[in-house]
Amino acid sequence: MSAYLVRRLIHLIPTFLGATFLAFIVLQLAPGDFLTRWALDPKIRPETIALMRHNFGLDRPVLVQYLIWLKNLLHGDLGHSFMYQQPVLEVIWPRILNSLVLVGFSILFLYLIGIPIGVYQALRPYTPGDYAISFLAYFGIAIPNFFFMLILIYLLVQFKFAHGWTPFPIGGMTSQGFEHFPQWRQILDVLWHAVLPAFVVVTADMSSLTRVMRGLVMEVLGQDYIRTARAKGLPERVVLYKHALRNAIIPVIATIGGLLPTLISGAGLVEVVANWPGMTPLLLDAINQQDLYVNTGIIALSTFLLIVGNILGDLLLAVVDPRIRYG
Amino acid sequence: MKRSISGILALSLVLASAALAQAFTWPASWTRAKPGEAKRGGTYIEATISDFRTMNPFLTAEAGSIPDRMTLNGIGLVTRDPTTGKWIPYMATSWKVSKDQTEITFKIRRGMKWSDGQPITADDWIMTYRIHMDPKVGSNLRDSFFIGDKVVKVEKIDDYTLRFIYPKPDAEAFAIASFSPWPAHVFGPVYEKQGADGIKKMWGLNEDPAKIVTWGPFVVAAYRPGERVIFKRNPYFGEWNKDAAGNPLPYLDAYQVNIVKDTNAELAAFLTGEIDQMNPATVEQIAQIKKAINAGKLDATLKVNASPIASSQFVVFNWNKKSDPFKEKLFRSAKFRKAMSHLINRQAVVEVVYGGLGTPMYGSVYPVLTQWINKDAPKYPYDPEAAKKLLAELGFTKKDAEGYLADAQGRRLEFNLATNAGNKQREQIAKLFVDEAKKVGVKINFRPIDFNTLVGQLLSKGPDRPFDAIIIGLTGGGLDWPFGSNVVPCRGNLHMWNRAGTCLDPRETLMEYYYYKGRTTLDFEKRVQIGYKLQEVEGELLPIVYIAGPNYHTAWNNRIGGWHPDKIISSIWGSGELPLLFRAK
Repeated sequence: MSAYLVRRLIHLIPTFLGATFLAFIVLQLAPGDFLTRWALDPKIRPETIALMRHNFGLDRPVLVQYLIWLKNLLHGDLGHSFMYQQPVLEVIWPRILNSLVLVGFSILFLYLIGIPIGVYQALRPYTPGDYAISFLAYFGIAIPNFFFMLILIYLLVQFKFAHGWTPFPIGGMTSQGFEHFPQWRQILDVLWHAVLPAFVVVTADMSSLTRVMRGLVMEVLGQDYIRTARAKGLPERVVLYKHALRNAIIPVIATIGGLLPTLISGAGLVEVVANWPGMTPLLLDAINQQDLYVNTGIIALSTFLLIVGNILGDLLLAVVDPRIRYG
Repeated sequence: MKRSISGILALSLVLASAALAQAFTWPASWTRAKPGEAKRGGTYIEATISDFRTMNPFLTAEAGSIPDRMTLNGIGLVTRDPTTGKWIPYMATSWKVSKDQTEITFKIRRGMKWSDGQPITADDWIMTYRIHMDPKVGSNLRDSFFIGDKVVKVEKIDDYTLRFIYPKPDAEAFAIASFSPWPAHVFGPVYEKQGADGIKKMWGLNEDPAKIVTWGPFVVAAYRPGERVIFKRNPYFGEWNKDAAGNPLPYLDAYQVNIVKDTNAELAAFLTGEIDQMNPATVEQIAQIKKAINAGKLDATLKVNASPIASSQFVVFNWNKKSDPFKEKLFRSAKFRKAMSHLINRQAVVEVVYGGLGTPMYGSVYPVLTQWINKDAPKYPYDPEAAKKLLAELGFTKKDAEGYLADAQGRRLEFNLATNAGNKQREQIAKLFVDEAKKVGVKINFRPIDFNTLVGQLLSKGPDRPFDAIIIGLTGGGLDWPFGSNVVPCRGNLHMWNRAGTCLDPRETLMEYYYYKGRTTLDFEKRVQIGYKLQEVEGELLPIVYIAGPNYHTAWNNRIGGWHPDKIISSIWGSGELPLLFRAK
């Protein structure tokens, strides 16, 4: 087992180098750089731009820039943001925490609700309840997250016009006066703000999870050992939870490791529309501004977590599935 | 007994020092509030589209940054009176200009204090200037201390006297001197010990707000990344800033800026009363605000078309096309460019692109700078017949098989036009231009390209540059001398039509001459006259074909009072003065 782990960790190195180098090259392939837009500012002299380009190291060959970045990475330094004039980690850390709240909240939601719903559907297939849930699930897949969020915000604004208050906040992560709240109220406040965006994120993922869960449970329920269990006279509850669910859930657990990078990469455009100060707005800004090291830093972190997440997923699989052994 | 006497003594000392402060009175003409109407306390909230980058005044690069907001948009010794546009003393009490107009000596107002209670003296300006000037710091303000290649020097005469020494008389002398001071007792020790690297590490967004010091009305109290920044009142500001009745300013306890991701979110926040002010940019936004006000859902004031914005869209033709002598000759011809100007239907552009809320442009001076506009400078408005005539004079009389104009040698009148992809307004302008041109037989091949590629082409140098024509825009223009220092002079890097490195047309040389003449004239009226002449030559040469720019609109929630009177609401002066705003409801 430990030999396997070591092997996987060694494999991590070339994968990580390849991915980050590719990212570095692709980001630099885009024409211009962070300083290009300054060139159209009548107040800035071209000499100044040349000086800044030199200070930022942007006048060196891409390979040299990459190697310097890599060297700094070994010292735990992800580079310096051009936009913020601060170390990249300091820039992205608060955003990662913010995204973590939203994504963590929605993942919890997802599994707590998605798995039971899928099982419910598998137990009563082709009933009106199954059809209704399937319809909602397809609706969830079909509607783009950002658009769904926009509709909710529109409804909230109309609600506010009609009644002068809203059941949920219109965007943002904290209320006015947040700084003076006691801690318990701060936590509740953030969760209250997270409800709608998390709901939107969940609707999209929920549909695939319930569909997958429904299929898996239905397949397992058709297996011979389930018939044997039932023939033995085991109560349906035991059949379902001890025999069926434990086997059906294995592929779902294998995907949990893959969630690790999404925890930091944010909830996507929902964050933008709901004005949630997470990773996505920052990443979009950084791409727009060609803030090289913020982009590379985010990609490096996600790559790293993706690889680690996959390893974790495999290990989890070994825990839940006695047929799998690594040696 | 003894104690109370010393207490009285101390109290009278405090009173004496407060009385010592030479106050600046904010004129009643800068606010629409009636005398005595303003109340104290409360918070004013506005929104910004992009997150802040830093609290460090030496690293900040964007307008509307945190340091800007703490210092009333970066003013200092002098500020402008929005009712006249003239420079008036602010943190200075007076100034004296030397005979040769290359030295200005400022008397600094006495009794001013930083938000930590330390006195503000000449040393603060000197230290601020030194740090801005250090190329290793990379301050955005460094370039403003250069006139051509020569540096403006700042000298301390005594604690309350500063002298600015200019290499030659300069139109922007006061603008240069207006930079905001920062506390020498905070930045000085770090700079002396650790140099530029020490300065760069200071006042990042994660800095403890207690360490932030300013002279301005509000100082940072809290910042939440991607969400908001909250400023609290600086109690020392009111010691030397008074309203017309002598009350200390600002009236508000706090000032807050919410960070929203786009203008839709900003609009939603304004409509629901989460923010107190916004400048709607599109017809749809204006319509929604109007609808909410009319339906009684929002108690707000909306000012539509308050003024044009200092921003322009234009077409520039490339004079450096050695590889294509036919096009090079064409683009260098003023007649050709005038014909193109006649083909741009500016009214249609205003209607289609700005929904009727824009202003046509015919020259480089932004229409909002009314004092500077020479109404008699030549204009070439939409007139396809006049365009046809000018093109015929250039030899384009026949039409070829496909119906496009061609000259005697059968060369078709055809060129490429580019703009940055994704800019809908510019793409719409280009399409209108292409359609009008087609009607008279000019073939324009329009292709939007990536912004950075476009900039690369526009700024390329030499006798053979890789584009025909580009639609692009610039923003911002000086009120002191509204002509670009790197646009008009032939060697300027934004002399976009001709980057050969020398003037090619005698009228370019003449424009350059007037540019420097105006730039080195300190007297405002004389300068305006030179600006008029420059515009006349520009009209003859028409190096850039200007099209149109958007208008400025503003709206505020009526629970905040103290906004500008109507006549000084504009894109230049904004909708109000922060220290004069107050919570009315």
